[in-house]
Amino acid sequence: MGGPNGPPKSSLPIKVKKQLSDTQAAWFLLTPLLIFFAISVVYPVIETIRLSFYDIRGLAPEKFFGWGNYLKLFSDPNFLTSLKVTFIWAISATFFSVTIGWGLAMMCSLNPRKTLVFRVMIFAAYGVSEAVSGFMWLGIYRPDYGLLNGILEGIGLSGWTQPWLGNPSTALGAVIVAYVWTQVGLPLMTCFASIQSIPKNLFEAAYIDGAKPASVMRYIIAPLSMPGVRVAIFINLLNSLKAFDLIFILTGGGPVRSTETVGFFMYRESMLNFKLGYGAASTVILLIAVLIVSIPLIMKRTGDAK
Amino acid sequence: MIGRTPRWIVPIVGIIALIWIIPIIGLVVTSLRPISEIILGWWSVETVTFTLDAWTQVWSKYPLAYAFWISCKIAVISTVIPMLLAPAAAYAFHFLKFRFRRLILILIINAFVLPNQVVIIPLFRLWRDLGMIDNIWSVIIPFAGLSFAWAVFLVKNYLEDFPYELIEAAQVDACGPLARFFYIVLPNSLTPIAAVGILQFMWTWNGLLLPVVFLRDELPLPALLARIQGVYDRNWDQVAVAAIITTIVPLMVFIIFQRFFTAGAQTKSGSKE
Repeated sequence: MGGPNGPPKSSLPIKVKKQLSDTQAAWFLLTPLLIFFAISVVYPVIETIRLSFYDIRGLAPEKFFGWGNYLKLFSDPNFLTSLKVTFIWAISATFFSVTIGWGLAMMCSLNPRKTLVFRVMIFAAYGVSEAVSGFMWLGIYRPDYGLLNGILEGIGLSGWTQPWLGNPSTALGAVIVAYVWTQVGLPLMTCFASIQSIPKNLFEAAYIDGAKPASVMRYIIAPLSMPGVRVAIFINLLNSLKAFDLIFILTGGGPVRSTETVGFFMYRESMLNFKLGYGAASTVILLIAVLIVSIPLIMKRTGDAK
Repeated sequence: MIGRTPRWIVPIVGIIALIWIIPIIGLVVTSLRPISEIILGWWSVETVTFTLDAWTQVWSKYPLAYAFWISCKIAVISTVIPMLLAPAAAYAFHFLKFRFRRLILILIINAFVLPNQVVIIPLFRLWRDLGMIDNIWSVIIPFAGLSFAWAVFLVKNYLEDFPYELIEAAQVDACGPLARFFYIVLPNSLTPIAAVGILQFMWTWNGLLLPVVFLRDELPLPALLARIQGVYDRNWDQVAVAAIITTIVPLMVFIIFQRFFTAGAQTKSGSKE
């Protein structure tokens, strides 16, 4: 900053405005965030774990209950059903969204420019609020004037029509189909992005060697789009474990709890039945499931955190 | 890019895409036809009349405008907070040295796996004791708090490619750590800050679980939609209008800024672009 011919500044007794040290500056910048983080992450996680060892009903004083809530959970047929539903939900929703999205991504990558509009159309479903998606699918599944029964009658299969969301044996499948509809856009986009980053000369080499489109797909596109597939599988799995919105709108966990996931069971027990300790214990189980799924990622993030 | 594309690809993808948006078309058509025709199915063609009745009547029927206002307040405030705080934190983690830095960083960036369900019971009890049930801050605080896990990660990833010479030059010019953030890093990180804003806006606008649990009358649009379709089942056309109003803002944001969502997904899962 000093003039070109002036003496070096450091030798002058000028007043430098007092600077914060790195530590002071860091805490100044971090403190507001840490307050939010403490209230909405650290405190709830610790408190949920603590409450899971207490018997709390509504406003009544809390009583220490030891492992009681957990023992009760694993002998509660409703909870065991919700575990099973969560498992079916997470596996099948992830499988179908990723498979469909990946397949579409591979097809779209064969002609990226002409399929742009179509990709946006499919991806748009991912941008619709889940509450609104639920409302749309209610219109499709309605027994009286729903689209699905309308189509079945139209093609002469009136025997197949039924209250899709009211029948315990079809409700879970119906909600999963609606959920897959909302989710496919994400694997489509992540897989498509992966395919776009495959070096072009691989394709040229393959065509010079006389490879057919099918074998290009099988031996180049499919294996090299794996990074996108992995991202999609992970996010879909994590999202479907926490799923709540769509179930809340479409079935409310019913009929006879056939669509109740652990994430919804927790809501019912704590917010509708006011068994807060019991709900907290089921939340801890959900948390454990989520953590198990995320172990590889947590390890990677922790290792990368420099 | 890939030569010799089979002809059937584009039509096939086109048909799938058309089938894909049938639910959306159904919603729009439902909002435009009189209830007497919707009862026969929104696709019925015996008589086809279009009317804007539902669009004009719905506003007095449901507190839709008020819910829109609540949604705006919640989404905007919960979006601005991480847009301001996440870059500050990312800068501190990336360029400053202090005790417990790595520990706090690991805690924050790994919290992204937490489901929303985890905060519900403790925060419900806390808000009840503080009399904050039905106060929009009961939703904004966790929305903001839960966003930092991915928002800090996203901005910090970007800072890894930030030219360190700029920081050093500022240091030589007697810029303190705060001045370096406000004058050097912040103005040059607008891209990741915009990404944080867009992603967070979508998620907070669409969020249903926290508003349903913590709010009673101050309902944002998705929660209002959930309530009215349970209560007034027969006004299918008017609920359709409410549904369109609920999703129009995030859907537009989403379509315009789609590329941010793919990038956001990659950030959430930890791999870099």
